Amino acid sequence: MSKDALPPLDKLDPAAEWAPWRPTKDQLWDAKWAAHLYRRAGFGPTKDELRTAVADGVEATVNRLFAPPKEARERPQVITGPPGVNPMTGMPDASRQGAILQAAWLQRCIDGVEPLREKMALFWHNHFATSIKKVNDGSLMEQQGELLFKHALGSFRQMLKEISRDPAMLVWLDSNQNVKSHPNENYAREVMELFSLGVGNYTEKDVKEAARAFTGWHTSGGRFSMVHGLHDSDPKTVLGKTGNWGGDDVLQILLEQPACAKFICRKLYHFLVNENLAPPDTFLGPLADAFRKSDYDITVPVRTILRSKHFYSAYAYREKVKWPIEYAVGVVRMIGVGVTGRITVNPYSLLGVMELMGQQLYAPPNVKGWEAGRAWLNTATVLARHNFAHSLVNGMGDLNEHAKKFNLQTFFPAVNPLAFVLKQGITDPAKIVDLYADLLLPGDFRSDVRSKLIAHIGDASPDTEVFAQRCRDALFVLLTVPEYQLN
Amino acid sequence: MLSRREFLKRSSLIATAPLIPGFIERTARAAEPGKDPILVVLEMTGGNDGLNTVIPYRDDAYHSLRPTLRFQGNQVVKVNDELGLHPIMQQLGQLLQQSKLAIVQGVGYPNPDRSHFESMDRWQAAEVTAKVSGTGWLAKSVPDLGKGKGGGVPVMHIGSEKLPLACRGTSQGVFTINQEQPFELKLGLPGSEEEATRKRLLADVAATGSDDKTDALLPFVQRRYLQTYTSVEKLKTILKDMTKEQARTGFGPGSLYAKFDLIGRLIEQGFGTRVFYTAIDGFDTHGNQAQTHQNLLQQIDQAVGYLFQRLQRTGDDARTLVMTFSEFGRRVAENGSKGTDHGSGSCMFVVGPGVKAGPVGHHPSLTDLTDGDLKHHTDFRRVYATLLENWLKVDSKMVLGEKFETMNFIKKA
Repeated sequence: MSKDALPPLDKLDPAAEWAPWRPTKDQLWDAKWAAHLYRRAGFGPTKDELRTAVADGVEATVNRLFAPPKEARERPQVITGPPGVNPMTGMPDASRQGAILQAAWLQRCIDGVEPLREKMALFWHNHFATSIKKVNDGSLMEQQGELLFKHALGSFRQMLKEISRDPAMLVWLDSNQNVKSHPNENYAREVMELFSLGVGNYTEKDVKEAARAFTGWHTSGGRFSMVHGLHDSDPKTVLGKTGNWGGDDVLQILLEQPACAKFICRKLYHFLVNENLAPPDTFLGPLADAFRKSDYDITVPVRTILRSKHFYSAYAYREKVKWPIEYAVGVVRMIGVGVTGRITVNPYSLLGVMELMGQQLYAPPNVKGWEAGRAWLNTATVLARHNFAHSLVNGMGDLNEHAKKFNLQTFFPAVNPLAFVLKQGITDPAKIVDLYADLLLPGDFRSDVRSKLIAHIGDASPDTEVFAQRCRDALFVLLTVPEYQLN
Repeated sequence: MLSRREFLKRSSLIATAPLIPGFIERTARAAEPGKDPILVVLEMTGGNDGLNTVIPYRDDAYHSLRPTLRFQGNQVVKVNDELGLHPIMQQLGQLLQQSKLAIVQGVGYPNPDRSHFESMDRWQAAEVTAKVSGTGWLAKSVPDLGKGKGGGVPVMHIGSEKLPLACRGTSQGVFTINQEQPFELKLGLPGSEEEATRKRLLADVAATGSDDKTDALLPFVQRRYLQTYTSVEKLKTILKDMTKEQARTGFGPGSLYAKFDLIGRLIEQGFGTRVFYTAIDGFDTHGNQAQTHQNLLQQIDQAVGYLFQRLQRTGDDARTLVMTFSEFGRRVAENGSKGTDHGSGSCMFVVGPGVKAGPVGHHPSLTDLTDGDLKHHTDFRRVYATLLENWLKVDSKMVLGEKFETMNFIKKA
């Protein structure tokens, strides 16, 4: 279907769009749609995951994404002790802790044990965007990350309650300065503007009053601490309700607003479906109503979206620019393998390139999170993506140099995405190109690009380095074609 | 120094250009950079404390509302009998003496919003409604800016942060560069046969992209690719020279100084860019403001001073203006943490030989306040309109949606 021909969202029947999709003979459940699901509900499929998903069907694959892992998996604490000291300034500096945290998260995404939950943890990290650059304490950031992971597919009500007491959040939004005599509005404003309701659904007066309700919500020694002496216990009026409100009462009032479920579902729509369209309230109605009715069970809208007809349509397909983490982790999962066929990329190798592509986990640019969408691609970040792809297909040598800065591991096996092809004795250029394209661009491989790549490999003799190098060149191009930048 | 023609001839874009599809190469060839006026926009992110930037040092209210953060008359850089610049801004003081600094006072917009993002969006979109569009005021200027003899890059964003809203919303003509990210395609040993082969292959594949001019996502990515490939070659040389300058001065690649160094070089080399946009973050000074604020203003003072010294050598200073802005000012009274909270109404600098120097408009009263905030008397869109109409020669109504009365801070040509 041509994208230009798509009717606007307000012309669609919301109920029909959000109803479960049933594959038809015109639109089969195949590698194209399975890869689409894995890109959105995770960080892209490995070769084996893609094959299994196609065999199992859409229903079973979506169910598996929501199922807890068969064996309880440990999430070892990676940060112990206080941040290091910057030798230049003599001040505490958590940048090394930040690197450890990032690497641990990237590794979990690469492992892909609970891809959807990790993806949703990323959504919430972007939603409750908190940066280690201000918090300056890896332990607190790790604690917040665990909170977001725990509730990523749980209760939004509970998550909002806990994040409002989360030490990293309280440091991030200056809560210790929020005292009865001088209320600091930072948390009260963001909890309405960015965390629950969105602009236009509250007034400046509501912010001022809510700030008073959160007075005395402080941190001390890395823990939440309620300082009653600094709390304002006089009556406040928030969104039309008057009482001696404390912070939890304000959260309750926010959750009672119909705007809240709509606001979250709109963000889910942009994250999971399409970041370019502005869905009208009526279109989001079925999602938001069910979300509210379930008392904010996050799986309710997420499952509806991932099963829906709308999700498996041109409204969603390749209608997002890949986030840097999606690009880096996706590439690694698909082709970041060594001679044994197992993934050999060390996550520390990815930290530098992630930053060049514009995304440092645990360090979003501000409380609004990453801008995302088209803003991911400017001339500098387009280059960074090209350079990363080139390094990866050519063995990652230069990227591993970056990882060695952390002294955590001194040997990195080279990446060799060709090995598993050549080991199978495949030497026909067309077959090699198709094999990679089936994995990287199922359903999106332009035939003119295909013939150029086959011609590039040409008639080089299969056991020569020239042949191997030309195959790597072809792979590099597959990772840089414009289609591949879209998720 | 190279003449502009010589520079273009030598630039590797034209010399080698294996990566550049033909039509872009032709565009580049046709581009003979002109002498068009240039605007450098400096965003002071976080809400600059205007009251301690341009200081009404004789006002008793200032001293009583700022018990720990105030400056005395003998500390400030004197503007006149009432106003002084923050003591650290020595170079701006000199520029003022040379009649190259205009200080636009009391700037704001109706019903100010105190959210960083909301207010910043309004300044960047030049719209004062709650929901701004996704197109920035500079992006909206691209059609007129691109009409000159420039090189097809009318707006350039210098920095590693995301493309700011002011520059967003146009499918063409906006580039981002910064030095921390080496601006090169690393496709093997430079100059090697394999590098050349890979470049050819990329160009070959890029050339098969669709000619789709729509706003859809895929053509957007394709256009972004072409823009990237084109600028890579041109910038190589400039960045190499900058590294030498930094070794000499000790300013790091991420510093504002380095950003202004880059801007200066691009202007000298006749890149054809009409508007440069860059930002310095950290003005959200809720606590212990004094040192932080001084450090930030010092960086601006050094960077702006250096830019005009540099451009004076080639005479390009005469066609360059710097404009500063911030999303809001801060409350008049300091808070209990030796800092200041979000306010509204603040000042802007417009710097360059092309200005009528000195204060523009009066300093807002410190006693007649709205909710503890200064009352603005000048809509920021009037400042934009003045720069668009009288400096950049851009139809301001096209950009701002309505005609604003221009102000009198630009010399008549």
